[in-house]
Parts: sequence; C-alpha cells; structure tokens
Amino acid sequence: MSPTLTRRELAAAACAGAAVALLPRSADAASPQVGDRIAAEDLPAREASWYRKLPESRVECQLCPRGCQVADAERGGCGVRENRGGTYYTLVHGVACTVHIDPIEKKPFFHVLPGAQALSYATAGCNVECKFCQNWEISQFRPEQAEARYLPPETLAQIARNNGVPLLSATYSEPVVFWEYVRDTAAAGRKVGLRSTVVSNGYIQEKPLKEVLPLLVAMKVDLKAFSERFYKDVVRGELKPVLKALEVIKASGTWFEIVVLLIPGLNDSEEEVRALTRWVKTNLGSEVPLHLTRFHPTYRLTNLPPTPLETMERAWQIAKAEGLAFAYMGNVPGHPGENTTCPGCGKKLIRRIGFEVLENTMAGAKCPQCKRSIPGVWS
Amino acid sequence: MVHAISRRELAGLVGLGLAGLARGAGTTSRPPQSRGRVGLAPLPPGAGAARPDPVAAERAVSAALAACTGLASGRAAVEAMFAAEDTVGIKLNCLGGRGLSPHPELVGAFAALLRQRGIPSHRIIAFDRSSRELTRAGFNVRRDGGDWLCYGIDNDYDREPSTSGEIGSCFARLVSTTCTALVSFGIVKDHDLAGVSGGLKNLYGLIHNPNKYHDNNCDPYVADVLNHPYVRGKLRLTVLDGVTAQCHGGPAYRPDAVWPLGLIAASTDPLAADAWAWKVIDAERRRRGLPSLEEAKRPPRFLSTAERYGLGVGTPGAITEVRG
Repeated sequence: MSPTLTRRELAAAACAGAAVALLPRSADAASPQVGDRIAAEDLPAREASWYRKLPESRVECQLCPRGCQVADAERGGCGVRENRGGTYYTLVHGVACTVHIDPIEKKPFFHVLPGAQALSYATAGCNVECKFCQNWEISQFRPEQAEARYLPPETLAQIARNNGVPLLSATYSEPVVFWEYVRDTAAAGRKVGLRSTVVSNGYIQEKPLKEVLPLLVAMKVDLKAFSERFYKDVVRGELKPVLKALEVIKASGTWFEIVVLLIPGLNDSEEEVRALTRWVKTNLGSEVPLHLTRFHPTYRLTNLPPTPLETMERAWQIAKAEGLAFAYMGNVPGHPGENTTCPGCGKKLIRRIGFEVLENTMAGAKCPQCKRSIPGVWS
Repeated sequence: MVHAISRRELAGLVGLGLAGLARGAGTTSRPPQSRGRVGLAPLPPGAGAARPDPVAAERAVSAALAACTGLASGRAAVEAMFAAEDTVGIKLNCLGGRGLSPHPELVGAFAALLRQRGIPSHRIIAFDRSSRELTRAGFNVRRDGGDWLCYGIDNDYDREPSTSGEIGSCFARLVSTTCTALVSFGIVKDHDLAGVSGGLKNLYGLIHNPNKYHDNNCDPYVADVLNHPYVRGKLRLTVLDGVTAQCHGGPAYRPDAVWPLGLIAASTDPLAADAWAWKVIDAERRRRGLPSLEEAKRPPRFLSTAERYGLGVGTPGAITEVRG
C-alpha cells in the first residue's frame, strides 16, 4: 500500500517542522506557503545550479547530457527549467506533485533495508520521453500543468520523520530534472538521521552526479536497453551517457541497482540481453543486482502485449548464466526470481511477493549458512 | 446538406483558381486553399507605443484576406472560409508580451468579420497557452460577454495523448473538442531554434509538451503538429501581425532586433505564410549584416518537411505575394 499524504497531514507535518526555512527566491518569484497548492502562475523560481551563460542572454544547461542551449523566455527539453533574461531557473524546487510512502521494494531496491518504507516524492518533468512511461501523467508534463504543493526539503524530511519512515526517495518522474531539490532534500534528511535514495534514468552529466552521490545511500538506474537505436527511437535519449553514469556511480562506492524493462520485440532479444549483462559484469561487477522487469502496455506503446513470461525467464536465465550473482524478475508476482538467494550456497535469504517481504533470514550482511557477504545496505 | 470536398477536388479547385467555390459549404467542409499565395496589406506602426487605429486595423485585415483569396473583400473571404455554424479558435502567440504579440485591435477586426459572417460572439475564441500570457500581451481575458471570447488553455488538455509522426501529445480540448475551425494568428519573428516563429511554430501552443520537440530546428515536429488531423482538418487561415517584426534573438522580445515591417499577411496556405516570414526576416538580417537563418544554422527546416507532407508551399521562392 502506498498512502498519499493528505493536505491535513502535510499541514501537520509542516507545523511540526519548526525548522522549516523559507528558501531564497528570485525577485519575481511568488511566495508560496509550505503545504500550499501552487497555482500555475506562482511557481517559485530558483536559480539552477548547473548551467553556464552564453552571449545574447542564452544559457547552456549542464545538468543532463542533452545540454540544451536555451534562449531567453524558453525552457529546456525537460520543461522545468526556464531562461529568464539570461539566468536559468528551476521551477520545481520544492514543487512536489506526488508524495507517497512506499515500500523500498517498489523502487525496486532489493538490497537496501528490506521491508523499509520510503517517503517518495516527485515533481513534474523528465529529460527523456520514453514511449512506455508508466508515469507519463507527471513526467511528460510541465510543472504548471501538474497539481503540486510547496514542500521544501526540510518539510519532506520532517514528514518522513513524523511518519517513522527511515528513507527519502526521489522517484516516479525523473529526479535528474529536479536535481537541486534532490540534493537539498538529501542534505535536510541527513541532518535528521534519514537516508536518501534516487530512482533515475541515469541520463545526467558527470559533475552534478558526483556532487550529489555522496548524499545518497543508494541509486537505482533504469537501463532502458542496450542499443543506441532504442534510446533514440523509443526514449529520445542516448545510451552512452547512461553507461558512463553507471561507471561513475560504481566508482563512487554508492550502492546501486539496475532495472531493465523488457519490451516485446524492442529490447528483449537474446543477443541484446546477453550483451547487456556481459557489459554489466565486465564494467560494474557481478555483484550488482539486475532487475529484469515485465512491460505492460501504456502511454504510447499500447499496441504491444505484456512481455511473455517465457521471454522474462529466458532473460533471467541468461543473466544468471553470464555470471550475475543477483538477477531478479520484476512485475511477475510470486515468481522465484523475486527472491534473494545466496550465490555461495543457494540458500534462500529473502522471500518476496511483489513489494512485500515474506521472510528475511539474512544474518546482518551475510548468508547465515555459508557466511558469504551479500552486498547492499542492510542496516 | 454538407458537401465535404475531397483532397483531389481541392487540388482541382486550386488549379483552376476557383478559390471561392466552397462558399456556403457547411460547418466541417474545408475551403479551397490558395497554395503558395500570401495576401499582404500595409499597416504602419503608430508613433511610439501607440496602438493601431481600429479603423486602419480593420481595413488592413480585410485587405489582406481579400488579397490572399482573390475575392472582392475581407468579408467575402471570411464567408468562403467559415460557415455560420463554425466555432472558430484563434490561436495567438503572446510569448513576447506587449512588445511582440498580435495586436488586440487586429484580432478584434478579424473577429468582427467573423461576426458579420453570422458566427455569434461566444463561438469566436481567441486563445493562447495561458490567460496570464494573454493579459500580459494586453488582451482582456473573458469567458463570456464581449464581442469575442479570450482565454488561455490553462491546462485544459485531452486526457490521452495522440500521435502524429514523431509527436505524441495531448491537445488542447479547445482544438480537439470545442472548435470546428482554427486560425493561427501569429507574428513575424526569429526563433532561436525553429528559425522562424510565424504561423506554424505558433501551433506548438496547442500541445501540452512542446518542450520535447525543439531538437533539429523543430523538424519534423512542427510539421507533425500541423499534420495531426485536429489541426490539418481545422486550420483554415493563417494571419501574421507584421506591424512590428523581429529579425533576431527570438522568441523573447528584443527591442534592438525589431523593425517596423508595417504589413499584415494572410494565407490559406500555412506554409506559404511562414515562407514569406522567412523571406522578410532574412532580408532584414541581410540589411543589418547578420548571417542568414541558413548560415546561422537554423533555417525553418520544418517547412520542407511540411511541404513533403503535401500541406502547402514552403519554399520562399515559390510563393506568390499579392498586395491588397
């Protein structure tokens, strides 16, 4: 279950959060109150952290690899950053259009505090346009088009604390487009003992990624496919920068897991799955969890069927045969591929159905039977 | 009885130059398109910040419409293009604020012609993306009363996206549901990515996610928006307010890049209107020693794509300018 916070709960959380600080804002920004619904014309504007100024009041965004060069009065491809007279602003800092409390397995993280809850938040916007997006109703809209409330970082942290939730998670749409909000929320959470995770497409430049990684306990990256053609035609992005981002995350030491959504006929061939898993093993190691998840028709790919179970199982077998120690299946509730099994002795360590943990026999970070270390964030 | 004219019939009519034959057709019939023909009428800017004189504005709009259709008057042109049963959406481009948006006086003059056609005030709707932009550009936002309505889309989009070529977008319900006829009422300005923002780029304001479609000089995306059945089937006319135009630094208003073009352009061929805008923008850029849009690596590529789709004449050298 993923409860959505009501206005009353938000108000209570805000009142409880005596430390809520009003954010510095630009001269022309509105002044929303914490918890208020934000009117389309009152989006708070805050200068973006990663961009450079160009001649003639133009700017170049340096947040994602798209590197949008944006003229005055225009927005970047994400739709949430706007050039106003040569200064680039994010319009979504503190502008949360979705706040839920979810199990961490929903992200999915299978090696991060099993069974823990995460206060999950998102703003409108995305830097790509996946034709299979499950959350297109927020990711493919601009902030003035999505109902949102003003929840600055300290308020989110306070809400999590008041609800006894140990984790914050930037998710649902694309955290890269609200990266300053992610950074500041992670920092605010850390001050009150919370840990932060990010669920992202990994389509981000190296510098902003490196600046925020130290504030995170874990990051999940959607590797949409293993071909540039797929990224170009179906995602409107690029594969190469995502692979680079994965290497950067690996090098940082921050825990990470990878999800691959298998779509019939588009990215589910044996060759592609094999090439992807080999790349993961060679460049990121055999211990990184790889979640192979099942596609269901949505958004602009309603013409395709759900991924056949045989395809899912074939991919899962390939990943294991290629030597990945923690290959999982997703969106197939009840399948053995949802469980965590010790690669050393074969003992079933964590039993799951969907997002629910049925049994956890881990001994700290080790298999209780053969004592093999199981990588992840367990305490 | 409504006689829907087929594409082939339209092409034949155009070939014969019988632009007015569809007069009296019913609500959903398409008037013949005068391919490649752009009607022009003078309307010099007032001194300083003066607004155009309403009488002069009416005369200019009428003359441009007559010139673009070859009919005797603006009233006759409107009669050929619209039925009394139509609900007409007039898409404005108010991003440039008061400095560079269609003049309300010109929109008012056009709305008056629609009323003379027998279209009631409540079925003449001037709109843009947001009411706020309209207000900033000097329009009086109203959802009832007055000689025509004027309001923003303000997030009233279809619930599901629909696809045309490369775009997948939710269209404004004003376009998909409310209006039976559309007019793109734009301006003449340079655009940092699209090259030209005239009548076609203005149509980006009909979809919820234009920010996704600015790569490659907005090509083929602008053409894909135009080619969507909602737009292709309803767009009857393009009017460009060229009283003041901008040759550089768009889409924002740049006082140092505007010049008094002093023309109103109209065309039933949406590509021709933009091809004309490209031509005059490049001429002014040459005069100022600026590189052409082609040299600046932002030619309006979407025009040749739209031409390939068969939507009109998008080559500046192939259009016909008719002075009214």
